This record gives sequence, C-alpha cells and structure tokens, in this order.
Amino acid sequence: MTEIDVRQKVLAANATAAQALRDAFHAAGTLVVNLISSPGSGKTTLLEATARALKERFRLGGLDGDIATERDADRLRRAGIPARQILTGGACHLDARQIEKALAEEGERLSGLDLLFIENVGNLICPTSYDLGEDFKVALLSVVEGDDKPFKYPAIFSRAAVTLITKSDLLPHVDFDLGAVRWQVAALNPSGRFLVASARSGEGMDSWFALLEEEIRRKRAASPPGAGIGPDSSNPANW
Amino acid sequence: MGLAAEILQIARRTAADHGGGPLESVTVFVGDLAAVEPDLLEFAWQTLVGESADAGARLIVEWRPARQHCAACGEIPERAAGSWLRLCPRCDGPLAVTGGDELEVRTVAFSGTPSPAEVEQ
Repeated sequence: MTEIDVRQKVLAANATAAQALRDAFHAAGTLVVNLISSPGSGKTTLLEATARALKERFRLGGLDGDIATERDADRLRRAGIPARQILTGGACHLDARQIEKALAEEGERLSGLDLLFIENVGNLICPTSYDLGEDFKVALLSVVEGDDKPFKYPAIFSRAAVTLITKSDLLPHVDFDLGAVRWQVAALNPSGRFLVASARSGEGMDSWFALLEEEIRRKRAASPPGAGIGPDSSNPANW
Repeated sequence: MGLAAEILQIARRTAADHGGGPLESVTVFVGDLAAVEPDLLEFAWQTLVGESADAGARLIVEWRPARQHCAACGEIPERAAGSWLRLCPRCDGPLAVTGGDELEVRTVAFSGTPSPAEVEQ
C-alpha cells in the first residue's frame, strides 16, 4: 500500500474557477448577487419585481439554477431582462464551472451588465459551500417557512451578507415572530443586513432596491476606469 | 454528494498520478463550521465508490474544531452550537471564533507501489 500526503482543499477546483469569475466581474464592473433559499421562498418573484423596478436604470441579467424546466429564466425574460437557465440534472447546487460555461455560451447577451443575479437551486444547505465568484450572498426566508430556520440552518444565515424576509404581506396570517428571527440572524451574523419585504404588496422593496443601487455604485467605483461601458462587450474579459 | 464526488476525484487523480491501483482509504479534515454532516458524507462516499474499482475504499473524517474565545470565560474547548451563534455557551457573551472551516483532503492511500519517479523524491 502507498499513502500520499495530499493537503488539497476539497473545493480547490471550484475555488479556482470562482476566482477567475470574480476577476472577470471586477474588470467588467458587474455586481454579482447569489440568491440562496429553500424552494418556494420567492426568489424568482423578487427578481421579477426587481427587474421591473430597476431595468430602465441598470443593465440587469439573471442565471437560474434548477434541476428541471426553463420556467424561471422564462419568467425573468418576460419581466424584461436577459436570463439563462442552468439545469443541474439533479445536483442540489450551482458550482462555479457551470456559471463559467453558461456565461461563455450566452456571450454578449449576459456581458457588460451592472448587476447579475444568480438564482441558486432551492436548497438552504449545499449552495452555501460553493463560491460562484459573487460579491455577496442573499439568504431569503419567507414568513410561511417558520421562525426557527436561521438556527436550524446556521451556515447560510451566517455567511449571507443580506438576509431578506419575504412574503411579509402574509405576516398577519402566520405565526412568525419577526423579532426572534432578527435576533437569531444577528447572533449568527452580527455584521449582516436584515430586510423585510413583500414583492407582492411592494412593502419594504424600496430598501432592497436602495441596497442594490448602493452596491452597484460601490462596485463600479472599485472597478477599473471604463469598466462595463465599453463597446466591446463580446470580449469575455468584459463580463 | 457534490463534496464526496470532489473528494473522490482528487483521490483518484492522486492515485493515477503516482501510478497506483485502487483506493484503500482517504483521510479528510472537516471543520466544525464547514457545514458538512459526516454521516451524509460517508453515505455519499459509499454510494459513489459502490461497485466501482475503488469499492471498499474507506473515507476517514478527522474533525477540526473551531477555536472559540470568550472575553469573560477565556478559551471554550467544547464543540458547541455556540460556534455558529458566536455566543459563549457559558455566559452568553460575544464569542470570537476562528478556524473550523477546514475541508481538505489530507492523505490518499492506494494499493500498489509508487512509480519510480516517486521513490526518487
């Protein structure tokens, strides 16, 4: 028998691909947001409302991870922004190589954006571990899922820069202790942002839009001069 | 399952690079805060090696604790939910947590002898 000392990070291949994406997004001045939640918490509905509100002022795009169907990308396209579906064929998360491949195949349609949303596969566990080259993760939790979830799934709520409570219009109808959830998230992630919104009624959405605008401007300011506004958006370096 | 597949891929590549045969065992470091459930990782591993040429290869998980320091109570050696909460399990004060995010393949053992190039090193 032979034993070899390896000392290699399990996710080294993903980390390399994620860093290449991050460099390309930096060069292009594209803000990238990775949305993670359980299925049905309202990721796509949030993005539809965001697309309608911001598409006149910013160039937006979306990548939608799912096990099957093109439904989510179809919905974003109907909301007026370019989008591509990534079908994982059973895998419970997106990895950086899938993002690279999808962007390369999509070419110009998803390049030179101000803001790229990555809608991960609906799952609070595995997507947490895979860096996609994003600027930050957003964890969504709808009020119908129950107010004990941050402590039950601590990894995602401690790593997401933003926790967004969705479907807040349903708060009067469910037993969801917003204060308890806010406290759990603060304990897991003291520096994280905490937002409460309903894409359906519109309440709280202004804070979400303001946060995105602020981050888009910050990203643009930190990027090389001319990023994202050059005519040569077919160059992969301008993603 | 994704993580088990990555581990298996690294292990198989390592064995192939060193001219070795089927895998015998793989040791991984998993930190407290790596968000990995060892039973599920083991199940995924068994499913993947299954009936393959590497059937029977063992996955050995070594836990790596997070280092937890409380300003009032000092070092907290016990593995506790506190490391996620960043609250001291003894006094509920703020807890400084470092490390515990390891997820690393440490050693790969396979049957057969290393390639001559390996012996020279």
